[in-house]
Amino acid sequence: MDIEFKQIEGRSKPFYLLTIALAALVLAGAYSTWMMNQHGLYLSGMSNRIPWGLPIVMAVFYIGLSAGSLVISSLYGVFGKLEYKPFARVATFMAMLLMIGALLSILTDQGRLDRVMVEPFLHFNPLSMLSINPFLYSSYILICTAYLCVMMVENEKWTKILALIAVLWAILVHSGTGAIFGFVPRELYTSSLLPPSFVAAALSSGTALMILVILVLFRLTKRPLAPKPMLWIGRLLAVFIVVAGYFVFIENAHRYYVAASRAAEHDYLFGGFHSVVFWVGLVFLGTIVPAAILLERKSGNSRHSIRRVACASVMVVLGVLCERYLIVIPGLSHPPGLIPGWMITQSAVEEGIVNYCPTSYEIMQSLGVVALVSLCFIWGLKLLRLLPTEAKGMSHG
Amino acid sequence: MHRRRFLKASAILSAGAAGAYALPLLTAFKSSPASARAASTKLRWGMVIDLGRCPANCTACVDACKKENNVNTSGDRRLDIYRIRKVTLESTLVAAPAQKSVPLLCNHCDNPPCALACPIQATYKREDGIVIVDPHRCMGCRYCMIACPYNARQFNFRENRHQPNPAYPKRQHGVAESCDLCAHLLDQGKRPACVEACEQSHANALIVGNLNDPSSEIATLIRNHPVRRLREELGTEPKVFYLGL
Repeated sequence: MDIEFKQIEGRSKPFYLLTIALAALVLAGAYSTWMMNQHGLYLSGMSNRIPWGLPIVMAVFYIGLSAGSLVISSLYGVFGKLEYKPFARVATFMAMLLMIGALLSILTDQGRLDRVMVEPFLHFNPLSMLSINPFLYSSYILICTAYLCVMMVENEKWTKILALIAVLWAILVHSGTGAIFGFVPRELYTSSLLPPSFVAAALSSGTALMILVILVLFRLTKRPLAPKPMLWIGRLLAVFIVVAGYFVFIENAHRYYVAASRAAEHDYLFGGFHSVVFWVGLVFLGTIVPAAILLERKSGNSRHSIRRVACASVMVVLGVLCERYLIVIPGLSHPPGLIPGWMITQSAVEEGIVNYCPTSYEIMQSLGVVALVSLCFIWGLKLLRLLPTEAKGMSHG
Repeated sequence: MHRRRFLKASAILSAGAAGAYALPLLTAFKSSPASARAASTKLRWGMVIDLGRCPANCTACVDACKKENNVNTSGDRRLDIYRIRKVTLESTLVAAPAQKSVPLLCNHCDNPPCALACPIQATYKREDGIVIVDPHRCMGCRYCMIACPYNARQFNFRENRHQPNPAYPKRQHGVAESCDLCAHLLDQGKRPACVEACEQSHANALIVGNLNDPSSEIATLIRNHPVRRLREELGTEPKVFYLGL
C-alpha cells in the first residue's frame, strides 16, 4: 500500500498565532537562563541540600517521552506492522526533538554555561554517569535523525536496520538515565531497579503522549484516522502502565520492608508534599485510573473508546511527570543518616528534611524549552512530509 | 538512485561523527580519577577529630576556614557555604540529655563518589589523598553534590567578592566547592587553617597528618584508640577519623 505523506498547510491564523506565542515563551526562557547565568543560581529555588530541581525533572521527563515515541515508530520499523506506518515518521521526529529538549534542559541548568561546550571534550570522565549519558543522548539524536531520513526516502532495508539500532539505543539511553540516580549512594536513590523501572515509565508516558499528538494532529488537519490502530496502541499503553506500576510497587515495598531505608521511605510515603504527589498524582490518577479506563472491556462505539484512550493518555503523561519529580526531589530532601543514633539539632546550614519550590525563573526556563520543542515540531510538520494524508486501519501486512 | 547515494553518504558521515565523538571515551580511561591509588605514594593526608577536646560553643575552626578560603556567609541557611561546619547532636537512643558538638567536613574518601560522578574530572583525588575541586574547570552540574553521601559539598549560588586572604583565589558563582584540607598550606609545609586555629584556642581537637607514616601523631592515635568514620558501610573509605563519637 502506498501512503502519501504531505506537509501541513500552516497558513492559518491560529498557526501563526501559536508560532508567535511559542516564540515569546522561548524568549522568556532564554531571558531567565541568561539571568541565572549572569547573577547565579540563587535565583532558582535550588539550595545546597537540593541542588537539582525542575530543569532536571523536566530533562528526565523528556527522555522518557522520547522513548515512547520511538516505540510507536518501531511498530512499523522493527515489527513491520504496516498499519502503524502512517505514524512512524512523526513519531521518530518527535523522539528526536524530545531528546534535544532533554539535552537543552540539562545544558541550560549548568552553573557555568561558558564551560559546558568545552570542558566535557577536554576532560571527559568515562566513569561518570553524567558524561556517559550526554554521550548516549547525542548519539541517540543522530541515530533518530538518520532513521527519519531513511524513512523519508522510503528505503525499506535501512529503515529496518536503523529502527532496530534506535530501539536498542533507546533502551541504553533510558537505563543510563535511571543509573544517574540509581548508582548514587543515597537512601532513596540507590537501586538497581531504577534503570528498568525508568524504561517502563518511559514507555508508558511516551506512548501516551504520542497517542495525544496523533489524535490532535489528525483532528486539526482534518485528516481521516481509523480508530482501530489507535485502540490497539491504547491496549499497549495499558500493558506499559501495569508494568511501570509493578516496578514502583516492588521498589517502594522493598524500601519499606528493609529497616535500613524504612525511615526515609516512611517520609517518602507519608511525609509531606511529595507523598501527596505519590499517592494522588502517580498511584491514583497516573496508574490506577488510566489502567482501569483502558482495561475495561465494555466498549461502546469506537469514537467513545477513542475518547477514553485520550483521557487515559493525559492522565498517564501527567502521572509520569509526577513520577519524575519523585525520582529527583524526595531523595535529596531526605537527609543522609550521617551518624546512626544521633540527630542533628543545631547547625548553621539546613539539616533534616528540607523543601524545594521552583522560582519563576526556573519555571520560565522550563516552559521555554517546552515551547522550543513545540515550535520546532509544528514547523517541522509544515516543512517536512511527516504526516500522512490519511491513516486507514488495515489488516496485518 | 540519487537518493540512495545521498543516503549512503549521510550514513557514512554520521558513523564518522559518532566515531569521532566516541574517541575521548577510549582515551580518557587512562586518566580516570577513580583509578588513582594513593598507596604507592609516601604522603597520605588524614585528620583525627577528638570530640572529647572539642568545646561545644567554640567555632574557631569554622571562622578560620572562612577567612583562609575567602568564604562569605550571609546567614542564609539554604545557600551559605561551610567547608567545615559544627553541628550539635542529640542522642535518639537514650533519654538522658546527651549532647555532642561535632565538626563536619569533607571526608576525603579514598573512594570518592564525587570524583567518580564529576563528568569532567574537575573533582579528583590528588596522589596525597586530598579530594579537591578545580574551580576553574567546574561547570556547575552539581552531580558531585548529589553523589556525596555526607552533604559535604556546597555550591557558589552567588558571586563572592569577599577576599580577606589575597593568597587564595575567589570563586566565581556557578561552581561547586568543599574542604580541600587547605592543600595550598599543606603544600608549603604549613597546617590547615582549622587545625592552626584549634591549637591557638588551646583545644587541640583537630590533628592532621600523614597516615602512611607509622610514627606520626595521627597514626599513633588511630592505632591506639577506638576511632569511627562516618558511614563506613558505604565503602567510601573516609580519611577523617572521629575519636569519642
